[in-house]
Amino acid sequence: MTVVHYLNQFFAGLGGEEAAGHEPVRVDGARGPGRGLVAAGLSIDVTLSCGDDRFGEDEVTSLARLLSWLDELSPDVLVCGPSFGSGRYGYACGCLAREAARRGIPVVAAMTPDSPGVLAAEGAAYIVPTGSNVASMRAVLPVVASIAERLAAGEPVGSPEEEGYLPRGLRQNVRAERTGAARAIDLLLAKLSGDTRTEVAPTGDRVAPPPPVEDIAAATLALVTEAGCVPQGNPDRLPTRHANIWLRYPIDGVTSLSADRYGSVHAGFDTSAANEDPNRLVPLDAVRELESQGRIGRVHEAFYTTSGVDTPVATSAKFGQEIAQELRNAGVDAVILTGT
Amino acid sequence: VSPTPADLQIATFAIGEIVEGTQTGRDADTLVVSIPKLAVGAGEPALAEATVEIVRPGELVRIANVLDVVLSVVKHDDPSSTFPGVLGDTTSGAGSGRTDRLEGVGVLSVCDWLAAGCTQPEEFPDAFIDMAGPGQDATRWGTTTNVVLRCIPTPGVPLEEVDAAVRRSSLRLARDLASIVVDTDPSDISTFARPASGADPTLPSIVVILQIASEGPLTDTFLYGAHMRSHVSTRIDPLEILDGALTNGAYDWAAVRNVTAAYQDCAMIRELLAGHGERLRFAGLIVAPGYLDTAQEKQRSAEKSAELARRMGADGVICTTFSSGNSHTDTMLTVRACERQGIATTAIVSETNGGLTDHVPEADCIVSTGNEDTLIDAWTPQRVIGAEEARAGEPVPLWAYVGACVETGDMTWTAVPA
Repeated sequence: MTVVHYLNQFFAGLGGEEAAGHEPVRVDGARGPGRGLVAAGLSIDVTLSCGDDRFGEDEVTSLARLLSWLDELSPDVLVCGPSFGSGRYGYACGCLAREAARRGIPVVAAMTPDSPGVLAAEGAAYIVPTGSNVASMRAVLPVVASIAERLAAGEPVGSPEEEGYLPRGLRQNVRAERTGAARAIDLLLAKLSGDTRTEVAPTGDRVAPPPPVEDIAAATLALVTEAGCVPQGNPDRLPTRHANIWLRYPIDGVTSLSADRYGSVHAGFDTSAANEDPNRLVPLDAVRELESQGRIGRVHEAFYTTSGVDTPVATSAKFGQEIAQELRNAGVDAVILTGT
Repeated sequence: VSPTPADLQIATFAIGEIVEGTQTGRDADTLVVSIPKLAVGAGEPALAEATVEIVRPGELVRIANVLDVVLSVVKHDDPSSTFPGVLGDTTSGAGSGRTDRLEGVGVLSVCDWLAAGCTQPEEFPDAFIDMAGPGQDATRWGTTTNVVLRCIPTPGVPLEEVDAAVRRSSLRLARDLASIVVDTDPSDISTFARPASGADPTLPSIVVILQIASEGPLTDTFLYGAHMRSHVSTRIDPLEILDGALTNGAYDWAAVRNVTAAYQDCAMIRELLAGHGERLRFAGLIVAPGYLDTAQEKQRSAEKSAELARRMGADGVICTTFSSGNSHTDTMLTVRACERQGIATTAIVSETNGGLTDHVPEADCIVSTGNEDTLIDAWTPQRVIGAEEARAGEPVPLWAYVGACVETGDMTWTAVPA
């Protein structure tokens, strides 16, 4: 069994804030809080570390270095932190946790529930909540060690409530004792007697509308769609449902999406009318007209597309974030998002 | 109390094994079947081939391209009236008299539409039943003895005609298998009486809104043999549904479609009938269309259903859901419409990795039938029936397993935070 532990420069004993620019390092055995994990029964084989600023300022290279060691060691479990309330340290833990998990390495981390590392981990790690400072170390380490040991041994880990980790935003299937029908009747009769309960609640991700575009005549406008609009022949194989990719197609110099060059591969609606005029999927003809009239500044150089049908919300959110980031980097001010 | 002729009796015959023989018959819990005598596909020119094989739990088999699962039933006193509107005439009506049913047996129709050139790649997602391996218990049909009817369409025949032939053939096979046992003693007889109107008026009155979808060939639901594409929310006798009035012809999204067996053995109807006069009053069932195309159609269906439930005197409503995505909006709008009528409402829906597909604030009481994106561990079957290849050796999402997360409430999967 191989266990790897990630710490920042301070907890690895490399130095305080003056060492925050420290490059990634690899040492054998346990360091700092790792000794507490050893005392709790978890043997630590290798400790990895990186300065907090170094990771933040040079994330790509730092992460690549740390991951190359993980690839080499192929550990049975990775433990990150505890990073407590430290934002930079927590973020590094979360990023490393996410990437390690994508390589199939189970990860346990520990940090405050509001740490940016929780979001960065994207539900890939078991994150044990801590207090904001080291005072909670003593309580946290045995919990981390216990989960890590079982993950390394391939043993099952219980629910967030039983084990004390933060819900990862995942929904895991279990067998109920009774059928859905019997449960529905029980829940309804309870609701009628004033006791309203539910087996599932919405995630509550409400997007606040942005402020209005100040000067649309000077704005760069992008077209984004989930209508599955692609060039004829679907050259990049956009899936017709359960899409796992989004695509970008250049429209510089194109004034209208002609039916012989574009069409929809969306499997969730009858595309025949839309395919007669793909501008009704991506309204390029209309925005070009506005552009020529000077009513909008400029149409962005490409349109963005995916097929939004039975796409998990988490995947859709990721697509949205990636596309939005790219549009923001390109200086786009406004987007028309056409849905189906 | 002895049953009245108006009640439905379902006599079950527990079958532990089906073997092939030259003569048909039943020996204790063994059913002996002569496959040539079943003459499946006879008189169906739309089918180039129709073959039957028996598959048992524990065999290293994955059945792919499963279209439907049917419980093997026959009307005891008038076999020709079984599945009225599809096979039999409708004059004697479903929902009364005695129906004989094989227990522990599934009749599966299988057709590879893509290989037959009838559909486009990716148009229809995978539909599996595993008889062993990690996916065996994903669905109810991995542990039944399955009689698999594999159909190959005759080239050039319109799709709708082929599908009608497949559906007739599987229902006929289901009927003819049960006919073997009619003169033997059943293992059990259950009587389903129509809910009496004299039940204690202080008990809460419950209506179930059973959502179906009927969008066109290969995505249709049939009422007495007629597709339901223009269906408007209608009150239908629940005993008729238990007795074969509704049959399935919708083949997308395996885990969340209602196969015919989900109507024949509808847990919701059975539970409500069992609770009638005890802890609730079962005030009736509405069959409502879902998976509707336009906002207007969706709103109309939701409001029609809610209005009908109110007139049926509902204190509470349970909304079931058919399939995933689009139809969840129909369910949520129906919940909202019912709640606005002052009716307490519970919805049954499946989940994805992203949680709920749609939600309204009024939907504060939901049963989850599980996360259909959950991956089932990779398995390599020894043999695949119904396809050339079927994700052998790959993890398979639960949505590919027939009936796994069915939103009528027939299964026990649910999802919890992790």
